[in-house]
Amino acid sequence: MKYFSFFFVLALTVALAVAVSIPLGSIPPLAPLLDPNHGFWQNSISEDALAEEELVLDNLSAPVSVVYDQNLIPHIFAENDADLYRAQGYVTAQHRLWQMDFQTLAAAGRISEIVGPVALELDRITRRKGLAFGAELGLKHLQENDPETLALVEAYADGVNQYINQLDDARLPVEYKILNYRPEDWSAYKSLLLLKYMSDMLVGDRDLEYSNLRKILGKEMLDKLFPDFPTKVDPVIEVGKVWDFQLLPVIKPDSVDYPTDKLVIDPLPQPAEGAGSNNWAVAGSKTKNGNPILANDPHLGLNLPSLWYSMQLTTPDHSAKGATLPGALGIISGFNQNIAWGVTNATKDARDWYKIRFQDESRKAYKYGNEWKTSTFRIEEIKVKGEDAYLDTVVYTHYGPVVYDRTFGAHRQDVNFALKWTVHMGSNEQKTFMEMNKAKNHADYNEALNYYVAPAQNFVFASKSGDVAMRIQGKFPLKWKGQGKYFMDGSDPRMEWQGFIPNEHNASTLNPERGFVSSANQHPTDSTYPYYVFDNSYEHYRNRRLNGKLTEMTGITVEDMKALQFDDYYTLASEALPVLMKLLGDSTITDPKSRQYLEELKSWDFFADPNQKAPTLFFIWWNETHQNIWKSWKDFGAPVVTPNNYRTVELLVSEPNGAIFDLKSTVSVETARDHVLAGFDQMLVKMKDWEEREGDYSWANYKKTTIQHLVPQFSSFSVKNVYTGGGSGIINATSGRNGASWRMIVELGEEMTAFGIYPGGQSGNPGSKYYDNFIPIWANGDYLDFNLRTEDQTEGLLFKTTLKD
Amino acid sequence: MMRFILLVMMTVLLVVFLNPVLPFWAIMILVAALAGLIGLKGAESFLAGGLGMGLAWLGQSLYISVGTGSPLPNRMGELMGIGTGMTLVGITAVLGFLLGGFSSMTGSLFRSLLKRKPDNLYRG
Repeated sequence: MKYFSFFFVLALTVALAVAVSIPLGSIPPLAPLLDPNHGFWQNSISEDALAEEELVLDNLSAPVSVVYDQNLIPHIFAENDADLYRAQGYVTAQHRLWQMDFQTLAAAGRISEIVGPVALELDRITRRKGLAFGAELGLKHLQENDPETLALVEAYADGVNQYINQLDDARLPVEYKILNYRPEDWSAYKSLLLLKYMSDMLVGDRDLEYSNLRKILGKEMLDKLFPDFPTKVDPVIEVGKVWDFQLLPVIKPDSVDYPTDKLVIDPLPQPAEGAGSNNWAVAGSKTKNGNPILANDPHLGLNLPSLWYSMQLTTPDHSAKGATLPGALGIISGFNQNIAWGVTNATKDARDWYKIRFQDESRKAYKYGNEWKTSTFRIEEIKVKGEDAYLDTVVYTHYGPVVYDRTFGAHRQDVNFALKWTVHMGSNEQKTFMEMNKAKNHADYNEALNYYVAPAQNFVFASKSGDVAMRIQGKFPLKWKGQGKYFMDGSDPRMEWQGFIPNEHNASTLNPERGFVSSANQHPTDSTYPYYVFDNSYEHYRNRRLNGKLTEMTGITVEDMKALQFDDYYTLASEALPVLMKLLGDSTITDPKSRQYLEELKSWDFFADPNQKAPTLFFIWWNETHQNIWKSWKDFGAPVVTPNNYRTVELLVSEPNGAIFDLKSTVSVETARDHVLAGFDQMLVKMKDWEEREGDYSWANYKKTTIQHLVPQFSSFSVKNVYTGGGSGIINATSGRNGASWRMIVELGEEMTAFGIYPGGQSGNPGSKYYDNFIPIWANGDYLDFNLRTEDQTEGLLFKTTLKD
Repeated sequence: MMRFILLVMMTVLLVVFLNPVLPFWAIMILVAALAGLIGLKGAESFLAGGLGMGLAWLGQSLYISVGTGSPLPNRMGELMGIGTGMTLVGITAVLGFLLGGFSSMTGSLFRSLLKRKPDNLYRG
């Protein structure tokens, strides 16, 4: 009996211990999670309560001090670059390890490893696009051409890894505890992969959709609805810029045969609409103090932990401060003692597709001119949690990976398309940022940019010596007019890119007469730029508002620039609403609810401020009208894009009775007015529903700006319904899920005066008080003081840590 | 009663001083050993070990959540779909109670295995 009771209770105890240490379905192991000494409770402790005066960091040549200001922004003081970046890796990992690790898993197409088969398709797309392949080439490029940079990237990785190696269970980021996995070693390769991932976030193409539209609408109608240069284009580089270089010749083939298939394949995911940015710099001649002022606000998906992490990086040679990307070295958007710089995405069609004709089923060779070229195979092994690994064979041609083939994306047709993309070319973006951090003048800035390949950016610049400049930098293929707008025939060698635009020919400007430079993802230049430039997604609203304001402003102060970054003027509404009103014929509407809405719209000043109601009414009315106009395109049975807002407004004005507005499927003849009316009726339906469910339809409550945790299912780690204005196409581009992910303003006086803010916090830990403490400041259009600190400055000091060998 | 209180107190101390450096399963083994040394009967031992570890985890989780004022317990409660951070404090305490209780009972039953036969004559 005694034996029985003992063994019975022992068995129960062991069973209990096992049950609480293994995952049950999606529930993580309970005991390690709930144990107050190691589990999630420990993640409730903020960084200041864990401050250490000294920490061990091996392989340093001299001690490094890390000074945290009251916002937990680290200021790293090191004796040389290797120590600096080793410490940057260590400190970043302290606050953002899970995020760094997770983002590179996503970039490598390895999410299935932690979440299981639900992510398999996503991982396959990521791998088929060849991001990892690109990062491998990048690493090889560094090994062969730039061992100095590689050594620094490895020092950074060593810093991250030393943090991982000393990490105990208590300090393990809470996401690992919930998802039940452990951090993996960092490497130089992962830093490069992260930059490829940024390319993927920012670069899209619509070649598939344009190929279909060309076939369905014909080239003439396509050019009418999607003009390369719209009227009133207001480009990045000022109109009238003289291009004083000898154009490289580009030969257009006499006859071009495009593949004529109607392509019913799934388009790749595109960068989110609203993922744009603003930057500008005003010359001293336009400012109150006579100093240049530079501003930058990149718009990206609003996530927690934030994409950005603020730092100051100081050696005896230089001192740079601003926003870093956890996982990459140096400051990405920031300033030093002499200059300031910032980035916006320079959308240019950098991805092209080639139709591949394989010799036979084995796909070992494909037709190229009169010969057969050999293809290579890359086997992607995708580990899947709880299942066997998935093996995906991707065929590589000299163009790049065959993304679409019989196993992927092509449900109804036997097609093969290879992707050519600058991301697959060895490059050294990391060096650009490290050199920029040290740059002293315009020449240094230009030199740093020469290393930069992708994703193409509009780099704004200002210096203490008074220069303001803009350069559109990336590796841009030499194309004949129209090349790469549609899918091309890969067996025809005449379809190849004919080289690259030399860096010196990339559009740029220095101290233009108008006294400012600016960019907002619009056309890079006017139509006089001699090389072919095309993209589907150029901005038509923020740029005009921004340039309009900058042109009229004088005696500019930092406060003026803050207000401009937070400007809520809804240019689309100011242009489209009068057109909608006129077509609607105001007087014919009599029911009280409609009258109420119309009165609200009529008395609106076109600012999309959070408390305004009219922006909601306009937003719905416009989008319903737009959808209604182009709704018959859904019946094409193939992926297409519809004409943008700008062009649609133009058509409403110029030919309201044109054939373009007639729906062929109905017997009656529709005009613009019918669509505007239908849009208005749909708005009434949607508003009725909204008012019943939510009541308040003020703009902030309608758009519900949400800063979402990187794992969307962890919704309690997200910050929802942030009360703030703005929207897509507005300088303050904060919509529901996208917006200003970082705002910075620098006045380049004798001493740099800088301000910055981002919607998040320095800590990646949802339990820390530094996780989301910047959000209310950001939502209010306020800033943190971002001046350079000295090592011994005591004002605003949170704590100080010395890293020692 | 003294031995009961002793086991509760010793278990609390064990968790407070050794749990920070040892995982929960190591604590379970130590609680069992402790209960074996103190030698309460099975049910009493269960209650004492359970109270010891349960109270220790209750106190620790409360101390952390009140002391830091962190939103994390509430966020975790919402994420797990079980209510607020206070619910989680309760669940943590119950889990500690079960782990401590069963370990402690195992320890005391192990001790009774080693005891010489005559001890059991009266009870049969």
